[in-house]
Amino acid sequence: MKTRKGFVLRSLGREYILVAEGLEVTDANKMLSLNESAAFLWKAVEGKEFDTDTLINLLMEEYGISREVAEKDVTPLLQIWKNAAVITD
Amino acid sequence: MKRTYQVAGHKFAVVMPDENKAWDEMIPYQPFVCEDADDALFTAELLDVMPDISDKQKVIVCCDGADMPRVELYEWQGQWLMEIAPLMEAPIRFYIISDKAFSKAQFRVLGSLRFSVNTVLMMMYAFATARKNTLLMHASVTVREGKGYLFLGRSGTGKSTHSQLWIKNIEGCSLLNDDNPILRVMENGEIRVFGSPWSGKTPCYKNDNVPVGAFVNLRQAKKNAIRRLSLPEAYAAMCMSFSGYRFIREMADGFHATNEKVVSTVPFYLLECLPDAEAAWLCHNTVTQ
Repeated sequence: MKTRKGFVLRSLGREYILVAEGLEVTDANKMLSLNESAAFLWKAVEGKEFDTDTLINLLMEEYGISREVAEKDVTPLLQIWKNAAVITD
Repeated sequence: MKRTYQVAGHKFAVVMPDENKAWDEMIPYQPFVCEDADDALFTAELLDVMPDISDKQKVIVCCDGADMPRVELYEWQGQWLMEIAPLMEAPIRFYIISDKAFSKAQFRVLGSLRFSVNTVLMMMYAFATARKNTLLMHASVTVREGKGYLFLGRSGTGKSTHSQLWIKNIEGCSLLNDDNPILRVMENGEIRVFGSPWSGKTPCYKNDNVPVGAFVNLRQAKKNAIRRLSLPEAYAAMCMSFSGYRFIREMADGFHATNEKVVSTVPFYLLECLPDAEAAWLCHNTVTQ
């Protein structure tokens, strides 16, 4: 998987928002709000190839959590990212 | 002849031949005339001959709907070239050639002088002020007890109608601007809204400003309801309501900085409404608390 070009991560107080700003994104008003850990993952994999394991390992390392807990966060997050089309296969 | 104007504290100059009919279109700008100044953000000069632009490179075409203007953006000889039509399917009616910093523009008019002059100045204003804590908004603004309430929404949602409902039904309300007010984050962090020479179909060109009381995003509905928006919702609603090119990174950074301060400071509401007095009262009683 890869993050789509044209999305910019913006901080908004304590929250984060992914904003479609680039010419690559045709739906110019597209936005997705992210929590802190999702924003951390986005920054870590932005522009790079990654898979589910990449994200799980990143979370385990950053937050010192078990694989099982990290997986519970990553699975729904990837679904949200896929549905919002901010990543490609 | 050159004339300088000051809108929401930012100066710009217009240069056109003395006898040109385009000056007749500058009447809404009269309240904003100021002394000629060296610190104008940009100058816009009317051209009578168009240079050869055949080697232009297309960047993007923007149009928000069939009855909205279409802007074709090109790069040409290290500058921006914008070709603008009044509607999605209409032919090009005027051209703007601007430096990349949006400090100097030349424009050539083929169609309506009013549409062209206003659009050139609005676009240049929005671009030139992007990094200056300023947003050219698409909103109708009503003032009540010294505070401005901005009604936002897509074209045709009833922003002007909602302002009129406040003015007709609620004592002490007045219109500041009906289409394109200017929003500024002041040095002390206060958010203020300013009148402008651009007010859509309503001739309301007030050189005046007030602190912002609230933003209200309007949506047509079968019954009236209002709720406060979350920070990301408010941010998104704002993004739909100001002008500019977010794919130019410096401009997007400027817009983001301003937008973040605005939505973190001023309350933002969603009003689902009918065009009736009850909607105006519900909105007023909620947002002026």
